Amino acid sequence: MGLPIPNSKLGMWLFLGTEIMFFTAFIGTYIVLRLGSGGWPNDPNVTHIRIWAGGVNTFVLLASSYLVVVAHESIAMGNIPRAKRYLIGTFVLACVFLGIKSYEYYGKWQHDILPGHIAEDDSQAMTKTLDDFDKLLTRQYARWVPDSEASRLADKRTVIDARTKEASGSDAEQITALKALDKEYQTLRTQHQELKLKLVPLSERLEKLKQDPKYAPLLGGLEAHHPIKYGNIFASTYFLMTGFHAIHVIIGMILFAIPLWIIGPFFKSPLDRRWTDYVENSGLYWHFVDLVWIFLFPLIYIL
Amino acid sequence: MTDGHSDQEHAPHHVWYFGIFGALCLLTMLSVLFDVFKIEGSKTIGGINVLLAFLVLSVASAKALFVMTYFMHLKFEGRWKFLLLTPTVILALGLPLALLPDVGVHYYTTDVPQDSAHVTERSHTELETTAESPH
Repeated sequence: MGLPIPNSKLGMWLFLGTEIMFFTAFIGTYIVLRLGSGGWPNDPNVTHIRIWAGGVNTFVLLASSYLVVVAHESIAMGNIPRAKRYLIGTFVLACVFLGIKSYEYYGKWQHDILPGHIAEDDSQAMTKTLDDFDKLLTRQYARWVPDSEASRLADKRTVIDARTKEASGSDAEQITALKALDKEYQTLRTQHQELKLKLVPLSERLEKLKQDPKYAPLLGGLEAHHPIKYGNIFASTYFLMTGFHAIHVIIGMILFAIPLWIIGPFFKSPLDRRWTDYVENSGLYWHFVDLVWIFLFPLIYIL
Repeated sequence: MTDGHSDQEHAPHHVWYFGIFGALCLLTMLSVLFDVFKIEGSKTIGGINVLLAFLVLSVASAKALFVMTYFMHLKFEGRWKFLLLTPTVILALGLPLALLPDVGVHYYTTDVPQDSAHVTERSHTELETTAESPH
């Protein structure tokens, strides 16, 4: 009477059924939104999506699926040391996957490819560039007028004149250059507020300022932002899908860590034949995580 | 951890797991090659190349079937797998299909800031209230 499988396995399969619906909600939404949008950032120089990262991650997850299946085979046959080795291998490959994913996420964060942060038309791009300019000036002013004294740029400006009198030699030169650069910034900001500024002249002006030896050391890496149409919805769907997938990877790692390191003394894993079903069910969960990635890889990295 | 299940379903089905893993790797390489060599047809829907999408998603489906059939052992399980997976798949496909006619198809003109030609006045004043940095 009943199904010829343990209750735990049935429970895991039912859970995986719900997980299938969970992920197809996000992936289906991504597909539908992308088909319905008037354009989608595709250029890898803009999206910073590198196929090698996705490809290596696919291979890593496939290998970890293979290792976990061999681990289950081993523990079913009673070969506990082999099962332990392969489970540890699965865990290590999961860490590698998360490592590559973190590297990708860091790249996105560095280029400010985050939901809500992306400029989608010229006006937003100019505002974002000028805001960056403002932050840069505040940092440069902070060398002479520390934040403890005056945190806002406007306040720093009122104090800087007193500093100029106290300073001498090269310091005075630098403060003069900074004030001149500040004047440039304020001109651009006023033009933008009066709707007279355009994106191409702004980026050309910034390039000219960066080439001036007086301002170059102050300006650092300031770049004019360019609009990325539909960039915010791209970032939202990207982080939604890959973020939830990464959370599931972490849960899988916890499942593997439990018999290896968490229960029982740290260097003596309690793994034995009684854990066969646990390993099988954790393996099922892990294969599901792999399945989701198998679909995420072409949808995000190739198409 | 065992629930007192009978031993019959654990009768050893010998699966060459490494062979399945090898096939999965080859299929992954295949989809990467599709991208690298830009195997693209002429038709594009919503900015996505139809031929490339078909090829790459077919490869993905094949990989998924390999994982499900052999790694997840579904080849050797009973008919309950259909009872479980059929409603799941129906519901899973149902959501995108339900949204497709409204969100996925363009039969109205879009009037969104990133597409609209006349963006300056309105979006500019909206931005002014948020653009002034706290410092």
